[in-house]
Amino acid sequence: MHKRGMKELVVPGVIAVSVLVRLVMGLASYSGWNTPPMFGDYEAQRHWMEITLHLPIRQWYTYDLQYWGLDYPPLTAYVSWLCGLIAHWIEPRWVALNQSRGIETPASKLFMRLTVVILELLVYIPALVMFARVWQGSRSKRTQELALLTILLQPALLLIDHGHFQYNSVMLGLTLFAMNFFATGQDLLGAFCFVLSLGFKQMALYYAPAIGSYLLAKCLYLGPTAGGKLFIRLAMVTSLSFILLFLPFLPPFSPLSTVLHPISRIFPFSRGLFEDKVANFWCASNVVFRWKHWASTYFLLKLSTLLTALGFLPSVVVLLRAGIKLYMASIEDSVQRKEKLSHTPFLPLLPYALLTSSLSFFLFSFQVHEKSILLALMPVTLLLSGAPVDSPVYSWGILVNNVAVFSMWPLLKRDGLAVQYIATLLLWNRVIGYNPVRLPPKSFIQFISMGAYAAAIALHVLEWVITPPARYPDLFSVLNVLISTPVFVVAWLWSIKCGIEVGWALGGLGGERKNASDEKVTVVKGSYRQVGGRAVSLGYAQSRRREADRSRASSVVADAVS
Amino acid sequence: MTKDQPEIANSPSTGFSSAIRHWFSWNIEASEWDIFWASTALKLLLFPSYRSTDFEVHRNWLAITHTLPISKWYFDTTSEWTLDYPPFFAYFEKFLSIFALLVDPKIVDLNNLNYDSWTVVAYQRATVILTELVLGTAVLGFIRGSVEPPVQRIISAALFLHPGFLIVDHIHFQYNGFMFGILLWSILMARNGNKLVSGILFAVLLNFKHIYIYLAPAYFIYLLRSFCLSPAGRIQTKNFLSLANAVIAVFVVSLGPFVLMGQIPQLLSRLFPFTRGLNHAYWAPNFWALLTTVDRVLLRYIKQTGADIPINKFGVSSTSRGLVGDTVFSVLPDLKPIHALVITVAWQSICLIKLWRNPTYKSFVTALTLCGWSSFLFGWHVHEKAVLLVLIPLSLLAAERQAYFRTFVIASVAGIFSLFPLLFTPTESIIEVAYSTLWIAFVYAPLSRRVYEYPKSIAYVIMDVLEKVYLAGFPFLLLFVTLFPGWASRRRQDNGEPDAGYSKLEFLPLMATSVYCSIGLIWGFCRLIFIYHYEETTYQGQLNEIR
Repeated sequence: MHKRGMKELVVPGVIAVSVLVRLVMGLASYSGWNTPPMFGDYEAQRHWMEITLHLPIRQWYTYDLQYWGLDYPPLTAYVSWLCGLIAHWIEPRWVALNQSRGIETPASKLFMRLTVVILELLVYIPALVMFARVWQGSRSKRTQELALLTILLQPALLLIDHGHFQYNSVMLGLTLFAMNFFATGQDLLGAFCFVLSLGFKQMALYYAPAIGSYLLAKCLYLGPTAGGKLFIRLAMVTSLSFILLFLPFLPPFSPLSTVLHPISRIFPFSRGLFEDKVANFWCASNVVFRWKHWASTYFLLKLSTLLTALGFLPSVVVLLRAGIKLYMASIEDSVQRKEKLSHTPFLPLLPYALLTSSLSFFLFSFQVHEKSILLALMPVTLLLSGAPVDSPVYSWGILVNNVAVFSMWPLLKRDGLAVQYIATLLLWNRVIGYNPVRLPPKSFIQFISMGAYAAAIALHVLEWVITPPARYPDLFSVLNVLISTPVFVVAWLWSIKCGIEVGWALGGLGGERKNASDEKVTVVKGSYRQVGGRAVSLGYAQSRRREADRSRASSVVADAVS
Repeated sequence: MTKDQPEIANSPSTGFSSAIRHWFSWNIEASEWDIFWASTALKLLLFPSYRSTDFEVHRNWLAITHTLPISKWYFDTTSEWTLDYPPFFAYFEKFLSIFALLVDPKIVDLNNLNYDSWTVVAYQRATVILTELVLGTAVLGFIRGSVEPPVQRIISAALFLHPGFLIVDHIHFQYNGFMFGILLWSILMARNGNKLVSGILFAVLLNFKHIYIYLAPAYFIYLLRSFCLSPAGRIQTKNFLSLANAVIAVFVVSLGPFVLMGQIPQLLSRLFPFTRGLNHAYWAPNFWALLTTVDRVLLRYIKQTGADIPINKFGVSSTSRGLVGDTVFSVLPDLKPIHALVITVAWQSICLIKLWRNPTYKSFVTALTLCGWSSFLFGWHVHEKAVLLVLIPLSLLAAERQAYFRTFVIASVAGIFSLFPLLFTPTESIIEVAYSTLWIAFVYAPLSRRVYEYPKSIAYVIMDVLEKVYLAGFPFLLLFVTLFPGWASRRRQDNGEPDAGYSKLEFLPLMATSVYCSIGLIWGFCRLIFIYHYEETTYQGQLNEIR
């Protein structure tokens, strides 16, 4: 299409095609379809529209908690209220209080499906378009468009949001906006977006260590005066946005005790370590350790918190170290304060930190759902979207994505999404041109990819051919967990390794800079693309400043990577 | 969507195709695989969509051909959906039933009416996708050896991804992709100069589905003139005999068993039920739809003014029944099937005379399109789905020249829009509109620039503007069709009386669709006839290079 002078058509075309795919996905059944009396996630979301529309705000988090009581933060409630308002305007029966429970008419289903598509069009897709512009601005238009298509057709999110039925794209989109604003230097706006993301779904907490330490590192990088100022501003913006979110639950609008309702609903610590089979450390190791048999819930809670913290610690350390090191370097170098504010050299660390942090939460924290892997998939898909096909980032990103979809197979099967599972995997892998056989031969990533795919296919065949023995009805789910978890663990270690590599390259900048003569810079610039510095270079998008920065950092980065 | 991914084209995804390339001389490119896999994924996602009764029709045929001996196929009445396709299709269903038995024996149980478990849905939908590969290979064949491969690639992709197939085959449920695949193979053979095979394939196709008889006159004249006669007009005995024998052999294989059993009258009565009315339940957008509307308007006018014109009582009652059942004119003179036949044949002969004089490939494709088009516009009891008989061959001409391209755009938009009422469930309606819009955008954008010609006179400018206005009317028609039912029911509730003239208007959206689309299709027909007869012989279009 580029050849035929239709460049301006490509991005709308890509978006239109992906919207079409979403609409067609919407034909599928959803979680809890035709299973009274409780139904599933679909009914929960619809029920929230119903209660937020008809009840006063102080009853939102207390009304009939046994039947899908609201347990997401207030922004979800406000969005539900808005959707409920529209539904009521179109057809009051869809959201009639108590009367509409379990309603499954084709028109109401279409309405619900469309709310997901439209919210995605309003939040996630603009965030992605902005991401392609901001983070990959130095790349060719074609790469940006392909990146957009790669992220838009990501099977896991398609299956969960448009098949199973949830609104994860809104939370992910808001976090992505935060990342975009960090990249453009508008940190306060970014922080506000991240608070909104948290306010939509508490699951965004998985990202909080990475985002928090990034902002802290930025303050450190700016030095005591400017950094201190930014720190105070960030603190104020964050707390004000939280207050804004909870405003209707706070005095003078309602008694102070009201705010406890949402908070106690959002964090249910009274539940167990894990419920369903989920491909994380606890569920996988449970086969051997039988945690629930001998350890108290309280002990497990503490242990899981400890492990989670240890899990994301490397990313925090790397970010903070980069901030301090670069501050030291900038004192010697007297980099303009203005430039420092709008441009952060350690920005490329952010996606890796997000990945490490969300994977450590997924693997080690309390009460994890299989769908939470979506949080880890966003950073890894963003990284892979711009990576060349022969880079490790590309292979890792796809492996994690495919295994994540596989890990959700028991859930998808239960929802009646088997055909969709096949179709979306097929579509995505084909569109991004993935061929596991063609991975770098005899590399670790090829070994683990082939192993994981072989095991996954074998398990599918087994499940198809034989019925599990009566003693182990969950046999296949457990095997699924045992196949998926190692891949996630290795991916987590890989993300730490990448983070350290990139961080070392950046942090080493101070020491090495003086030796880096102009000669060397030009040499490295030529080989920049080939060494796969692409994903690492994600942050150097501002084309205006591209020249100086890139030559400076890329020389070191390229050294590190090669 | 896949045309814009040369990065993919160079990516390792070609590993698998290079292996295939080795022992298939097809040389399928990465972008072609992309289209294939992407469309397959989309069709898989359509598995749970709405299915018309045609789904049960075909399931019943699987059961009939599997459980009953061949002598009872055309007599069975267990289900109301009796077998009414020619024998090759019955053999085809017999073949499919072998695998259906392996998938789920209940599929082929004759008394298991309206069986709709996911096994039968998945199986039947999968057979549609698989048999559509015939179409896929045919359109690939058109790219190979084409005069201008990049343009043909767009046309081929447009054919393979045609919204008509998506709506009628993958949602509504039929096997048109498979059958049009045979038709396109036959046309491809004609292009490649293999006219004997072309004729045989068309005979085979006729024995799959007899609706293709609409196109038969063009085939007859073309093969007779260019294959059985020499350019000078002398008879080529060898060619003639081989073609005649081959076609007879095809019919013997198909009808032979039934001739031996003496069942031909029964078979014909199933294939050609002549007891039906002029218009199908939902008026196909043809000449008769327009005429019926004129009749309705006249009737209203007469009732209001009290003019002294005889009114047919049956016709009046026919109006109040809306669009369901037979149509009888109330004011205009009544019409018999023979009239429709005569008019159709008259229009076809006009094109066929030209084809006789100029039996080139391009002329053949044009005449073929026009033959289907006359049958569609003037035939008796035409189904809206038959519009594909016009749109598919017409697509092959799309990139010939501005005049052809414009005809193609008008006919495609009107024809595809006229298929929309087939699906009435909300989600499927949105999908069909979204898909068709995307399709026309992706076909229009690259082709329109290639064929653009500067209008020669003021008349062309006016025509161009009018056509654009007509095309711009479709979004408004869509809006009207979507919003009108809700508006009418709200008005009815407000008035408190259930039947205040609004129930009569229940069919207004269907009627509006039918009339508006028929205008475009009739205009397109006139355009193509004009182009066909008056196009200068020196014109250089890509297909002109193929004799």
